[in-house]
Amino acid sequence: MSDPFADLPATTRDDIRAALPIARQRLAEPGAWLTGAERVAIAAEVRRAWDCALCKERNAALSPYAVAGEHDHLGALPAAWLDIVHPLTTDSGRLTRGWYQGIRDAGVGEDEFVEIVSVAIIAVTMDSFCVGVGMEPSALPEPVAGEPKRVRAEEATPGPGWVSTIAPEDVRPHMAEYYANESYFYIRRSLTLVPEELPKFWDLMTPLYMSDPRIEELGDLQRSINRGQIEFLAARSSALLGCYY
Amino acid sequence: MSGDHSGNEYDLSVVMEGRDTDGGLPNGAILSRFAEGVCERDLAKAAAARAAIVAQMGEAAMVDAAAVIAAFNAYPRAADATGIPLEDAKEEMTVGLREDLGLEALNTGGV
Repeated sequence: MSDPFADLPATTRDDIRAALPIARQRLAEPGAWLTGAERVAIAAEVRRAWDCALCKERNAALSPYAVAGEHDHLGALPAAWLDIVHPLTTDSGRLTRGWYQGIRDAGVGEDEFVEIVSVAIIAVTMDSFCVGVGMEPSALPEPVAGEPKRVRAEEATPGPGWVSTIAPEDVRPHMAEYYANESYFYIRRSLTLVPEELPKFWDLMTPLYMSDPRIEELGDLQRSINRGQIEFLAARSSALLGCYY
Repeated sequence: MSGDHSGNEYDLSVVMEGRDTDGGLPNGAILSRFAEGVCERDLAKAAAARAAIVAQMGEAAMVDAAAVIAAFNAYPRAADATGIPLEDAKEEMTVGLREDLGLEALNTGGV
C-alpha cells in the first residue's frame, strides 16, 4: 500500500511525520472497549458528520437541542454513537451534561463513551492537520481483527467532569509517568478512564503542540512560529470551537 | 503570551472576534484566518490563508501553525465532551480576562 502521508510538506517536523502514521494505525487496532472495525467506522463517521444536514441545521439554531431529526450517516454505527460522534465533530462547544446523560440513558457505557470520544477526536485532529497543510485526508486503515478486553480501570473515581477519571493520587505503577512534570491539568485527566487510550491520544497531540505547555518560551523546541503565535492559534481555535475550558 | 511576561502589548479580543487585524501579534490576522478555515472546514479560506502564510512566513511556519490548530481541535473537544471544569488556580488567575473577553458565555456545559 502507498504511504498515506507521502504528500506531507517537506518541512514537516520529524516528530509529526512519525506520529501521524502511528496514530492512523492505532485507529484500526482493537481498543479497550471497541473493536478495530468499530474504531475505523467512527473515524469514517467523523468525516461524514461535516456534511450532515441535521448537524448543519443544529449549528444554525439557537439551541442544537431544540432541533430533532436523524443524522445523515454511513450506516455502521448505532444511533446513540452517532449522537456522540456528530455533535462532537460539528458543535462540540455546546455539549452539555444533559447531552451526556442522554447518551448514557441510551445504553452507552461510561468507558465505551470515553473510547468513542477519544477515537473521534483523534480522527478529527488528523483530518484537521491534513486540511491545514492542504492534503487530502489519509485513506482510513483496514481494521485489525481482535476483541477488546473490556476491563474497567478500578482506580477511576467520579469527576472532575461528568465522566470518571483516574486522579494523580490514584494511578497504578503502569501509569506512574503519566502525570510527570506536574501535568495535573484536567485536560490531561479527562480521558483516563480508559488508560489504553492515553498513548494513542497523547502520542499524537504532544508533537502537534508541545509536551510541557508550562514553559514561557520555546527553549530548545524547534518551531517556525513563536510562542505568542502558538498560543494565539491555540486560543483562537478553542474560541472557534466555543470551548470555555 | 501575556504582556506581563514579554512586555509586548496584545489585543486579546482578536482571539474571540477574529477581526482582520494582527492584534499586536506578527501575522496575527492571517493566522486567525487560517484557524478559521481549518476549524470551520472552509477549504477555500484555509487555502487562501495557507498561501499567505507560506508567502510571508515560510512553509515550515505554515506546517507548525497547522499542527497547533490540529491539536486545538482535540483539547477543546476532549474538555467539552467530558465536562471537565477549569482548575481552581486557573479560574482564579483568569477572572478578569474571562470577564473582558466574555468567556462566560461559553460556559454552558452544566446545562
